[in-house]
Amino acid sequence: MTTTPETMDFKNFQIAMPYTLTAGHAVGSFLAELAHQRIIGARCAKCDTVRVPAQDFCGDCGGESNEFVVVPPTGTLTAWTVTDQGIIGLIALDGTSVPLLHQVITATPSDLQVGMRVKATWAAEPVGAMMDLAGFVSAPDAPVAQVEPAVDLSSPIEQLDYRMELDYEHAYGHFYGTLFDGIKNSRRIRGVRCPSCRNVLLPPRPMCEACYVPTGDWIDLPDTGIVQACSVVHIEFVGQRIPPPYVYAEIVLEGSSTRLIHTVGGLSAEEARSGAVRPGTRVKAVWSDRRTGGLSDIDYFEVVADHE
Amino acid sequence: MTSIAIVGTGQTVHARRRVDVSQAGLAREAAIEALNDANLTMDDIDAVVVASGPAMFGSVNQPEKWLVDALGARYKPVVRVTSGGGTGLAGALQAINQIKAGLARRVLVVAYDKLSEGALQASISTLYDPFWGREFAVGIMGFSAAYWRARMDRLGHTEEAAAMVAVKNRKNAMLNPKAHVKKEVTVEEVLASKPLCWPIKVLDVPPISDGACAVILAAEGDAETITNTPAWIRGMAYYAEADNGPNRSMLQSEPLKTAAARVYRNAGVTNPRRQFDVAELQEPYTCFELSYYEGLGLCAEGEAAELIASGATQMTGDIPVNPSGGCMGANPIGATALIRLAEAAMQVTGKAGAHQIKGAELALVQAGGGWANLRGVAVVGSSKD
Ligand SMILES: [Zn+2]
Ligand SMILES: [Zn+2]
Repeated sequence: MTTTPETMDFKNFQIAMPYTLTAGHAVGSFLAELAHQRIIGARCAKCDTVRVPAQDFCGDCGGESNEFVVVPPTGTLTAWTVTDQGIIGLIALDGTSVPLLHQVITATPSDLQVGMRVKATWAAEPVGAMMDLAGFVSAPDAPVAQVEPAVDLSSPIEQLDYRMELDYEHAYGHFYGTLFDGIKNSRRIRGVRCPSCRNVLLPPRPMCEACYVPTGDWIDLPDTGIVQACSVVHIEFVGQRIPPPYVYAEIVLEGSSTRLIHTVGGLSAEEARSGAVRPGTRVKAVWSDRRTGGLSDIDYFEVVADHE
Repeated sequence: MTSIAIVGTGQTVHARRRVDVSQAGLAREAAIEALNDANLTMDDIDAVVVASGPAMFGSVNQPEKWLVDALGARYKPVVRVTSGGGTGLAGALQAINQIKAGLARRVLVVAYDKLSEGALQASISTLYDPFWGREFAVGIMGFSAAYWRARMDRLGHTEEAAAMVAVKNRKNAMLNPKAHVKKEVTVEEVLASKPLCWPIKVLDVPPISDGACAVILAAEGDAETITNTPAWIRGMAYYAEADNGPNRSMLQSEPLKTAAARVYRNAGVTNPRRQFDVAELQEPYTCFELSYYEGLGLCAEGEAAELIASGATQMTGDIPVNPSGGCMGANPIGATALIRLAEAAMQVTGKAGAHQIKGAELALVQAGGGWANLRGVAVVGSSKD
């Protein structure tokens, strides 16, 4: 399907967040011991299966996997796939019950075979993460070894830093496209009227959710309105787009029946708290020099007299 | 229609940051406690409902697949339910529907969030339309503070009244062994605390917590054989609103009123203030508890400030609200709503320990997701009807 030619197509939006993930006791111990080139697994006290990396619980029987073991760095390749980023394989380490998913390192992928013997290879500089175990390489002569009881374990790594960045292309569609095109090019704010309840809906939409009928005429709205509710933002948080303090406001433009979410500016936090802006205050858009086709084309709303 | 009861409950030790367990380990801890409480094992469980907040909180998508092994739930029906702050109650409702449909007789609901791991306000802000307001969002705090400000003018929900909620719930949390914030405050301290989104101040806000809760629901017939003290579900509903629909003042939560009306009808509640012995309400900010007094009919519109000032909702009052301390003691968001339900069950079965309301037989539960978008109500009783 092609998009309506007169409107913009997509808005780029990124969600980017930092994390501190908790490994738990068993995986934390596994990660800590990679620095000593030891692979730690756990034996289930109830059903005797051995899993690697060590887990705090046994998926087979639901029991506590409460005995840590040192797993030999040797095993058998049971499956693999070749990707752009390298070869991913399932490695049945000697003495374990569940294969480990990891990288297989080889200059000649065509030589890989199910059942071939492999051994661990290690990163030069351990950082306390999975890739301290750099991967597995061919080891045709590696004898089959046994798991051993784990003694003198390092304290577990408690937290790992992680970052997630997700890029989106949100489609405007016809109604948002028409609205934001108008905002960008001619500073027009346009809603739609519901033919049944006669309310003007902003942002415009194909259906009135109160009447559940298709909406009708496009209606030009002024850039003045009434504050329905407002608060004074002091909190700072990751991903915040405006430096605090600022006034968060839900504004009903004159002639509209729905809320526009924005900020009220041109006053201090103290003025805002002492009533310079409050439910019922009349405000007017202060347009930016930016023309991005978003609500941020309005810098903020400013307080104006009731009958300006 | 089959009656359904809560036959076991469990909660983790909640904390600001649990560095000793993974997300899966946290959920497991609550599940084991609930199984022990009911004297059951996973072999006795027909189905599992996992309830947790947005995947963005913990960066693990479809965490239920991870929990299958942690719960020992392989080859059982496992589904995940998510609905913001109301997630836990939405999960319990899913379990009830499975039992009512005859698909299962004993269902384990496990709800959790490990909020120490991610960026809370930024995650919650993504509930805003990316075109319409997200760049100005402050989680739900900017919105919640704004409509509290509006309720001050129209309904008299003053900063002092909300501060009394903080004082009451933080005091009650002192008696709850599962609460991790245990510090009494005064009205003056709340009023003088640092503004986050004024009028919301630091002491109007619950802690950010790592925690999990589990509840086992069983059909009539099984329930009485599992325990001598089943907590019967007398009604439960969860409703949504038209968020950006026309002419919405947001002064009252419409889905809350709808859910309460339906549940009260099912449970035969005509005078909530008199009939309920205790209430567990999910108050992400103190101002919400005031609003819920009115939405749930514990007082008339505009009388919430009077109700809290009267002392009626204290432990010693005629309608104690949040003897557990509510969210002010611990707030692992995905688990919070299920904690309210578990606490209500503990109250009507006499298992609430130091924060027990003596002789409680009928308890009210409220939970919600989004800002005012999704609201759930449940009634739990010591008898079937
Ligand atoms: Zn096992
Ligand atoms: Zn309409």
